[in-house]
Amino acid sequence: MSSVEESLIRTVGLHYTYQAGTRSPVAALRGIDLCIAPGDYVALVGANGSGKSTLLRHLNALLLPSAGDVRVAGWSTRDSTHLREIRSIVGMVFQEPDSQIVASVVEEDVAFGPENLGIQEDELSERVDWALRTVDLSELRHRASHMLSAGQKQRLAIASTLAMRPRCLVLDEATSMLDPAGRRQVLETIRTLHHDGMTIVTATHNMSEAAEATSVVVLAEGCIAMQGTPREVFAREDELRALRLDTPPAARMAHIVAVQIAGFPTDVLSVGELAEAVAARCAVPRG
Amino acid sequence: MNQREAPIIAVQDLWHTYLAGTPLETQSLRGVQLEVFAGEAVGIIGPTGSGKSTLLQHLNGLLRPQRGEVYVRGNALSRRDAAVRGVRQSVGLVFQSPEDQLFERYAGDDVAFGPRNFGLSADEVRERVRSAMEAVGLPFSCKDRLTWELSHGQRRLLALAGVLAVDPLVLVLDEPTAGLDPQGRRALLRVLSAWRKAPGRALVLASHNMEDIAEICTRVYVLSHGHVLLQGTPREVFARDDVLAPNGLTVPAAMAILLLLKARGCQVPTAALTVEEAASAIEAVLHG
Amino acid sequence: MAESGEFELLGRMTIGQYLPTGSPLHTIDPRGKLFVGVLLVLTTVATGSLLGLTLLLITVVAGFLLARIALRYALSGLRPLLPFILILALLQVFTIPQRGAASVLWHWGPLIITDASLLAGITLIGRVFAMVLTLSLLSFTTTTTELTHGIEHLLLPLQAFRFPAHELALVAIIAVRFLPILAQETERLMKAQASRGADFGRGRGNPIRRTRRLLPLVVPLFLVSLQRAEDLVLAMEARCYTGGRGRTHLIQLKARHRDYAFVAALVGIAVLAVTLSVISADHCVQGWLAGML
Repeated sequence: MSSVEESLIRTVGLHYTYQAGTRSPVAALRGIDLCIAPGDYVALVGANGSGKSTLLRHLNALLLPSAGDVRVAGWSTRDSTHLREIRSIVGMVFQEPDSQIVASVVEEDVAFGPENLGIQEDELSERVDWALRTVDLSELRHRASHMLSAGQKQRLAIASTLAMRPRCLVLDEATSMLDPAGRRQVLETIRTLHHDGMTIVTATHNMSEAAEATSVVVLAEGCIAMQGTPREVFAREDELRALRLDTPPAARMAHIVAVQIAGFPTDVLSVGELAEAVAARCAVPRG
Repeated sequence: MNQREAPIIAVQDLWHTYLAGTPLETQSLRGVQLEVFAGEAVGIIGPTGSGKSTLLQHLNGLLRPQRGEVYVRGNALSRRDAAVRGVRQSVGLVFQSPEDQLFERYAGDDVAFGPRNFGLSADEVRERVRSAMEAVGLPFSCKDRLTWELSHGQRRLLALAGVLAVDPLVLVLDEPTAGLDPQGRRALLRVLSAWRKAPGRALVLASHNMEDIAEICTRVYVLSHGHVLLQGTPREVFARDDVLAPNGLTVPAAMAILLLLKARGCQVPTAALTVEEAASAIEAVLHG
Repeated sequence: MAESGEFELLGRMTIGQYLPTGSPLHTIDPRGKLFVGVLLVLTTVATGSLLGLTLLLITVVAGFLLARIALRYALSGLRPLLPFILILALLQVFTIPQRGAASVLWHWGPLIITDASLLAGITLIGRVFAMVLTLSLLSFTTTTTELTHGIEHLLLPLQAFRFPAHELALVAIIAVRFLPILAQETERLMKAQASRGADFGRGRGNPIRRTRRLLPLVVPLFLVSLQRAEDLVLAMEARCYTGGRGRTHLIQLKARHRDYAFVAALVGIAVLAVTLSVISADHCVQGWLAGML
């Protein structure tokens, strides 16, 4: 992990309690220490109720800590004077496609964010054009927003966030309500953005998605249970199972095969790597 | 599965036009043939817009056949006097995200909604609620908990219990595991498999999740643009990547891996439905 | 087939339908159309004169011709309202006070029709038609986006007086955007509850029972709406929405000569209509009616 000065987002001793002061408070986060450097791609995994969404909402000050501190580019989220900067730097895409689209026309929804920032007309147009190009929705810019497919709607949500020129994109289970085609489109967009330098933080149930990250953080009951590169984390299959989580299918297969075949690698992450490992050990192809 | 018995549900040459007579008119079903026999778990896969939801809504009479016929236990649903109420009791339909439809304050009352609608006595209702909740793995004591206090996964199971309480012969589900975490998904699939085991029952499942289909279905229909492209056992259907891929459909991850290995030159058999089967196939090849 | 129709009805619902025919009327600045629309509606109320109303009706019909939209399309929208209009008109005809009446045209016991009351009845019908047709024409020729932009821009000057112009326009935009979504949700809920044996009742039982039968729909719909509202607020906050002050706009409305000419022409017509009412041209009509019958 990087030093304090290098981090884009940093949480120290983050605690959060829902319904604090009522008869049934719920401690959703219990001491999270997280450091996200520029260019990182962090996958946040954990069972429902582990605190993933709650944690993500602290990263752009939609929620403020009950205890502890969250800093974005050095500014504390508790400091209301820098709220605009923080929310410009950290953009967020939510799970439900329909519930984050404001305007009835695609290009107007993309413009909503920068309009709020008071960006002047020329730059406004430029940002809208660039954002739509990046997510490949330029031909649909005049389409009614409710007539898009779910995958297109999520890409629209990404464009609307990109128009604010963020340095970090946070995605809260953005692909879980999509069909396979939609999911593929959104993941492709995320991959491209990361390749071009965007910091990505994504909460997901899909372990193949998580395997593409540079670091995986496993959350359980409000605490960080495991943390490391995908290779490190997914190798610890038994611990993950105990936390009610899966590993990517390729990793699972590698583990099973390794029991029978001596020397077979267990730190396989992707289908490609599994194919390499098998091909390397394949008997001479028959025929 | 006894093929000589009559199917519980039979769909014959079913056509449906959505919003007929308006500028937005589209043909959602074109001559669909489908049968569901007792003891089966029938999977329906297809890209978005293939007509899956429309088809499912014909199975319990929400939509009446515009052209063609749907028979449920021998009753033709196109007839004006078709006993639709009886059909609703024989065929239980669970929509996507069923936890969105919960409305009662107390969990048990919501499960009781179905049996009460069908005019059962208070004692019968109570008994149905108890067995339905147990079938989904929720303790009967949950009936006195506030609906909104239950977790997301529990609310989905509760909604399922609400349909099971009607004691249907066929359970029809639209994307049952969408949005669930891995543990929630496993729990739900276990409940469905166990429920189906009782004699005379059948399951119909429409899903994008190929692993779900591979895991619990005995027969699969592939729907595209409103008609059936392909049908067969999961093994038979998923072997036809030549039909699935052009229609935007994938195969279960385990099989996809084997297909990739085969493309790379390894002589692996590719007919694996689960991760375990695929791993065995790989082991067999590596043993030489 | 009754049931499939029952559930699909919501899918056919079109609020403020927009009919793109590419006519000149479609390209007029929405602010102009909004202003003129409101002006004409107010004028129909202000002008008590049948001549004035006739002038307004002719104007609206001319508008339909200009917009290349069949008048009968708009009239078919009036059909469900007809019974009410007729009842109200008949009430006018039979019960209007005798002030200004020149002669009695017909009577049977306590029911009296005078020339003044007959005129009042006809005037009422004319008023309703004029108002409904004006508003229909407005919605047929202006997209909801144009309408909300128009409202927002018209109200902008008021922001100087701390009037929440953008907030109100946003409420309108979002409401319109979510109506089809809520309609779909309602349909889904009805189908889900019907699948569990719910019968949304064709008038069986007393009002209390019938209302209770709607609970399985109302509660989840309310909850879903609240959830969506909450989600939307979060998304808007995440994109730095803090109200209308200091916001810039991607869509700039630019008024051209033809827009000003349009507004001027219609202001003229409105003034004429009111003038006709002021100079009480109706005495002539009353006399003519009395002479005829």
